[in-house]
Amino acid sequence: MTTDLDQNPRSLLVSERSSFRDLKNRISSQVEQLHLNYKVSLLLPEYSFDRSVPRTRIDEDNCVSLTPKGHLTLSLDKDSFEVLGVEGKPSRFNHRVKKRFVVSVDLTDSCMAPGGRGYLRLLAGLKSRLRLKMDFLLSHHPGGGASLQTLLSRHDWSEHRPEVSRHTLTHLSCPALLTSDLLSCDPHSFLEWLGAAHAHISCGNTSSSFLSSLVCPEPKTALSRALSVSVCGLLLPQDIHRLLQQIRVYLEESHLESWACLTVHGFVDSPVSWGANEHGVLRGGENFYSLLMFHDDVYYLHQATGAHDTCPP
Amino acid sequence: MVRVKSRYLLCEINVPDRSRLFLLDDRAVAAAVKAAVARMHGDYGAALCSIRFSVKYLNAHTGIVFLRFPKKCYRLLWSALPFITCIETRGQKIECFLNCLHVGGTIRTCQKFLVKYNTQQLHRMLPKCKSEEERSQVREAILKCCLTRGNKQEFGEESDSEDDEEQ
Amino acid sequence: MRREDETDETSVFRRVVLKNASPYHYMKICLVLDDESTKLSAVDLKLFILTGLKNLFGEVGAAISFDLLKYDEDTLSGLLRVPSRSLVKLWSSLTLLGFYQNQACAFRVLQVSPYLLSLTGNSRELKLD
Repeated sequence: MTTDLDQNPRSLLVSERSSFRDLKNRISSQVEQLHLNYKVSLLLPEYSFDRSVPRTRIDEDNCVSLTPKGHLTLSLDKDSFEVLGVEGKPSRFNHRVKKRFVVSVDLTDSCMAPGGRGYLRLLAGLKSRLRLKMDFLLSHHPGGGASLQTLLSRHDWSEHRPEVSRHTLTHLSCPALLTSDLLSCDPHSFLEWLGAAHAHISCGNTSSSFLSSLVCPEPKTALSRALSVSVCGLLLPQDIHRLLQQIRVYLEESHLESWACLTVHGFVDSPVSWGANEHGVLRGGENFYSLLMFHDDVYYLHQATGAHDTCPP
Repeated sequence: MVRVKSRYLLCEINVPDRSRLFLLDDRAVAAAVKAAVARMHGDYGAALCSIRFSVKYLNAHTGIVFLRFPKKCYRLLWSALPFITCIETRGQKIECFLNCLHVGGTIRTCQKFLVKYNTQQLHRMLPKCKSEEERSQVREAILKCCLTRGNKQEFGEESDSEDDEEQ
Repeated sequence: MRREDETDETSVFRRVVLKNASPYHYMKICLVLDDESTKLSAVDLKLFILTGLKNLFGEVGAAISFDLLKYDEDTLSGLLRVPSRSLVKLWSSLTLLGFYQNQACAFRVLQVSPYLLSLTGNSRELKLD
């Protein structure tokens, strides 16, 4: 009744330090596993210019996602779940009363082949009983458009290009220890600073100012300019891989003491976060990772999830 | 059966002029506590203070007071007590501060502590008596207390009945 | 830490899992006023929130050190930073703020997160038209 005023829902932050040269580095699998990416933001210092999911709310509506590995996840409310009549389990985001259920189907399984037992059952449930109507966001590989055409010809659809926005930040104060041995800067204050840079919040406050006492972590230096680029849309892990390679090439070419920071946000309302782990909103629905890379191939990876999500890989 | 749990705070009201203690009554003390809680913890604190808060006992001779708070929020309410600087009663302001001596789960444990505490105080004060006359006066007073054992019995019964009420 | 040489690459790897460790929480809020022409400066907004805290949680509540990181006067929306243990208090006092200078008002809490970064990428803001 009273003592839990100070408590907060769970949050989880995994921070990793590794190197691209390390043979056991898992960066590619970690990038692969967050399928439904919504936004990618990139922060480059001393640089001034160069170059999917339903629209529903997972805490209110039914939500569906399909990952490239053929994993179909339906996050349904109790009524829809019972009408559908397919096996599922209660969501981790239930509190006391079980109101939401998750149905997870592996479409590569033999009984899910067209004409198979499980396939017919799911199809009957979806077509005749539940009659869900949904908007889907689809993304395709370059060259994979042909198989999509036949699917799309039966539905209303429109094409959206990812939205790119660029900002040049000037006179940005930044933590001085952005080098490969980032020991004295804890992950939370680093992520706070990064968030402030992306949201265009000034860190030039003093501890006595009335409105805000946000400051850049000490010790700090000033950057005369930096570039913040962000791309919004349904982005594939493959795109992020390509971007990652380009950034590494850029870092190798550039002068010493250089770094770049890549942040990838997952969709807030996606039913899955990393791999096929269940995801929900609760308050923020955060699922993102931030990759801080240095010219000597060392990187820091911060993966964050909130509420009842399972630990990222 | 589940008991609704409470915490009893045994407090001492310190005043510059002891004769003014007689002006106090439990309603005035309760009002002062409520006002302090409302100032420090706002509407939220005032709401907590309206459930099962009461002044169970007030000794106008010694300035000892028992406050009952719900167990769940007694720390929050307790934190407002140091901000009481005066108690208003019968149109007069009595400057004072509260000193919390003991926190107990039942009135009985608080009473036990109080007896022990008073004995301790007595042992401290006896050597300070200046004349033989004073010493004998104190002795007489103690003997008087011993005679009225029934008084103590009564007290114990009160705490028992208190427990019953809460069941 | 010393720089690792090529033969000793595996020792570079370090993984730390932090649970509930974030010192602050961030809120994206928006104030809805009855009369839309009312202007509110950043200082006014912070004072308004402070009075709400003082009413509900008294002087202890008014001592909560929250920050108004960003504020847009046109849309009356802003970003707040609050120590994690005071999040519930701030949120509840925002909910109970119903009047600004005798006109009905309400705070909409759009997003809450332990990371400022995640407030910059909210997929609910995605527009597909």
